[in-house]
Amino acid sequence: MRRAALIGTLLLSSGCGGGAAPEVVVYTSVDQVFSAPVFQAFEREAGIRVRAVFDTEETKSTGVLNRLLAEAEAPQADVFWSGDPVRPFLLIRRGLIEPYVSPEAEGLPAGLRGEDGTWTGVAARARVLLVNRGVVPEAEMPRSVRDLADPRWAGQAAIANPLFGTTTMHVAALFAAWGDVEARVFLESLKANGVRIASSNGEVKRLVVSGEVAFGLTDTDDANEARKEGADVEVVYPDPEGLGTLVMPTTIVLISGGPNPEPGRRLVDFLLSAEVERRMAESAAHMPLRQGVPTPDGVPAIPEIRAMEVDYGRVAEEMERIQPWLREWVGL
Amino acid sequence: MGGPLRSPAGRREREVALSAAGAALLLGSVAPLASLLVQEGSAWRGALDVLTDASIFALLVRSLALSALVTALALSLGVPLGVLVARTDVAAPWPAALLHAFPMFLPPFLLALGWFHLFGAKGLLGSAATSSVFFSAAGVVLILAVAFAPVVTALVALGLESLDPSLEEAARVAARPLRVVTLILLPAAAPAWLLSAIVVFTLAFSELAVPMFLRVDVFPAAVFSRLGGLDYAPGEALGLVLPLLGLALLLLAVERRLAGARSYAVLGLRSGRLERLPLGRWRGAATLAVWAAAFLSVAPLVALAWRAASGGGFSQAGGWLGGAPWTSLSTAAIAATIIVAIGLVVGHSAARRLGGGGTLDAVSVLAFVAPAAVLGVGLIALWNRPGLRWVYGSAGILVVGYVARYAVIGVRTLGALIAQTPLHLEEAAAAAGAGFWRRLTRVLLPLHARGIGFAWLLALVFCLRDLELAVLFYPPGRQPLTVRIFTLEANGPEPVVAALALAHVAMTAVVLGAGGGLLWRRPA
Amino acid sequence: MTAAVALEGVTLAYGDRKALDEVTLSVAPGEVLALLGPSASGKTSLLRAVLGLAVPTSGTVRLGEEVATRDGCLLLRPEERGLGVVFQDLALWPHLTVEGNLGFGLAARGVPRREAVGRIAAMVRRVGLAGTERRHPGDLSGGQRQRVAIARALVLEPRAVLLDEPLASIDVDLRRDLLALLRELFAEGGTTAVHVTHDLREAVAVASCFAVMEEGRIVQQGALDDLRRAPATPFVGSLLDDLEGRMPVGEPGGEPRRVP
Repeated sequence: MRRAALIGTLLLSSGCGGGAAPEVVVYTSVDQVFSAPVFQAFEREAGIRVRAVFDTEETKSTGVLNRLLAEAEAPQADVFWSGDPVRPFLLIRRGLIEPYVSPEAEGLPAGLRGEDGTWTGVAARARVLLVNRGVVPEAEMPRSVRDLADPRWAGQAAIANPLFGTTTMHVAALFAAWGDVEARVFLESLKANGVRIASSNGEVKRLVVSGEVAFGLTDTDDANEARKEGADVEVVYPDPEGLGTLVMPTTIVLISGGPNPEPGRRLVDFLLSAEVERRMAESAAHMPLRQGVPTPDGVPAIPEIRAMEVDYGRVAEEMERIQPWLREWVGL
Repeated sequence: MGGPLRSPAGRREREVALSAAGAALLLGSVAPLASLLVQEGSAWRGALDVLTDASIFALLVRSLALSALVTALALSLGVPLGVLVARTDVAAPWPAALLHAFPMFLPPFLLALGWFHLFGAKGLLGSAATSSVFFSAAGVVLILAVAFAPVVTALVALGLESLDPSLEEAARVAARPLRVVTLILLPAAAPAWLLSAIVVFTLAFSELAVPMFLRVDVFPAAVFSRLGGLDYAPGEALGLVLPLLGLALLLLAVERRLAGARSYAVLGLRSGRLERLPLGRWRGAATLAVWAAAFLSVAPLVALAWRAASGGGFSQAGGWLGGAPWTSLSTAAIAATIIVAIGLVVGHSAARRLGGGGTLDAVSVLAFVAPAAVLGVGLIALWNRPGLRWVYGSAGILVVGYVARYAVIGVRTLGALIAQTPLHLEEAAAAAGAGFWRRLTRVLLPLHARGIGFAWLLALVFCLRDLELAVLFYPPGRQPLTVRIFTLEANGPEPVVAALALAHVAMTAVVLGAGGGLLWRRPA
Repeated sequence: MTAAVALEGVTLAYGDRKALDEVTLSVAPGEVLALLGPSASGKTSLLRAVLGLAVPTSGTVRLGEEVATRDGCLLLRPEERGLGVVFQDLALWPHLTVEGNLGFGLAARGVPRREAVGRIAAMVRRVGLAGTERRHPGDLSGGQRQRVAIARALVLEPRAVLLDEPLASIDVDLRRDLLALLRELFAEGGTTAVHVTHDLREAVAVASCFAVMEEGRIVQQGALDDLRRAPATPFVGSLLDDLEGRMPVGEPGGEPRRVP
């Protein structure tokens, strides 16, 4: 009996943070397959151990964000690296963020960060239409998000569940851009048009690649995965003449009251660097915000595309406001 | 029922032990849920939601119907299999049974992934047609039924094995084997397969990962959307859960009535060998059926192996494994030990119908039934405090979560074991002056060493298999293997994910094999 | 006359251990044979071999004209042998009522429902259980359960009834009544029976023929006088000593009643 207790304590303590080595705790909703190597690079360079919490296929966990909210009384995290720019606003609004203007933020465009240093955008994704070229001939390619509601594509389009992930943000941006009435009409018409609701952007990609739908609304990194798999697909940056393409920079924020503030700042600096932008471009098809960062084929830099005008703070508010209505729309 | 068991000294010892076990249980399950209820006044609105909102109510009914279908299908698969394996002369029944049972120790999500590699549009046997069936309610029902059928098989086999053999012999003298099975054996073993039906129903109803993977809406998703969506409303989610808990209490009450109604002779004294029922000319077909079921269970694992191998997954997987297997194993092992300790104390009180046992048994059941998301949020609320950081920030919180959720395994299996032990064994010890603690450790423990070992193993495997709870609050940097597979599945390379899934399968197989082997060799 | 039940050179071996060793025994129709012996002498194994629940490694089991088992082959399945059995622990099916217990075998044989109901009612009355048809075994007293077991064996009108220490766990006063019941039932129906017991007094109350087993072998068989005259082993002697010391249960004078 006593032996068991001793072994138990040993086992458990092997999990407790060792007091000696410096470490930093980061929560991220950037896919583990992309973010983990970045953290490893930081560990090698800075000699600080990184302990990370990852998000899952967006729907399947309470979300890293909600864990941050749940832990608000006693924050466990130092840094939050968000896959989209909007969720951090929920933290900002609740006063959970500590402003920090990183020296690395110099090279980044001013429009994509908070002036007070509460948040900083870096390597971005965009919302695109992924089209199956085998099903859709060149001449009939969809060019706008409105094509999702086009009866021509009845039952042949897909979007991810708007309650989760980047789709939430996209819908909220539409609400902010078009106003309440028009946005609701649009979503209703999507339903009427038999648009398939997939559980995630990855699912949308699968559906398009397998030909089950003709095209779908998804993120650039999922679209890039499809191209890397060798699927016969086209990536369309929607609405170049009209609304513009929604750009979603990944966003770094420093959590207030975290256990390791100084290592936290160092990690923020690292994540904002050109080196990480290059990595993210290469592995995850994220588009660098900086000029002059080398990118692989098929991955433009943000200055090259027509971006939608967006006030991310306003989008954050819309997101919260439309939640109950969205839940009804989805049927949950 | 007075006697030495209820003497004042004996009672005090037992009460102390029971309180300790109860506290452990309550701190892990009820307290978090209660604190959530207290903090969040919106819980009641959530409960009203279910009753008044038509779409939520429809979703609840839909989920109940799906679970009922899964249960029916699992029963129709598992009951005949259990009979064939336990009581008839099919060829090599136990290897087939082991293969068939193995997948029940894996997270259903892994199995669904394997089936996807078989029947998805780009799967080994897949096409557009199979894919559309796969990604539908029918797909959910089929996958979960096949995943949970072994629960039925195992419990039916166990139930049949523990029947008094002379019941069967008396029947065999009067009627043919089929009548013996359908009219005598199965009714007599009713507590076993009824319990399995309840277990399968609960597992099917609270399963979240598989329906979401297959894009089918279920009620737990409604709970989840209030925690995983943007507006964080844990109180509402808890409110939605309250009707579920009510349903669970109802099931518990039904179960109690059924079990208490007639006490069937369990663990009859086996007088000599009992020949297996001869199948005659049906033997070939039956053997084929049993082995077909075994292969059906294992098919998704084969598909995972194929996917991993064909994409070079195994070579890359090493880098991604990290410390995850160790985290899984160590937390599961500690949790299993605590679960067995709690199970002994609470199970004993429940089996002997002593004060407090029934209530704590119900608590453990409710903690198992409550959706993981709610339990998780409650645990965070309760345990994430500066004073408790040594638990919350470490793998200890995983242990707390596992114990809360899976204590029911210890309580139920050990309770059943103790219920079958004649009371007079304990009474004799008590009369000789042994207090509760001494009776537990010197009489019950050695007597049931093997059963306790099996309960420990079962608890261990359930903790290893856990996904939906661990994902909610695993300590930063220390993911259990199931969580790692999950997080990597988001855009992770398919072969690597498949290889990691197989690593988990291998880990489970090794644990089961080693544990089972060790326990089997002990003299009975 | 062909024996109702006959074993010829039956050996039943489990590995090295021989539960039955070249056993030869025959029971005439209408005869009640008492089978005695210490524990683990093979009495239960013999019954199970006759019932078809255990297959002898060698030897022949005959039931009337038919060969039931020969040289390790089961020629007649247990349900085809037309035998009745009362187990030591009774083995009443707990989920069936008294009526259900008695009716199980009748239904299995395809006896029409109306006839079955009649036979069950008559048997229930005969054993003194009228009014308990709808009760479950769990709700009956020990003595009542015993009667149900006996009734269940006899309602099928078997060619022979095998009883394995049927009164082992019964109180003394109940034992007397039950023995009397058994005696009457056997006499009325001209039933062939093999009654296994370790108590010669009990045997003497019902049986006309006696056989003693030790270590898997029949060491002596015959009428009571034959045993008295020349006990073959010390165990037989001790059985007789027990008998002489007291009055046999239920029968004044100590003479067993001959079955006509």
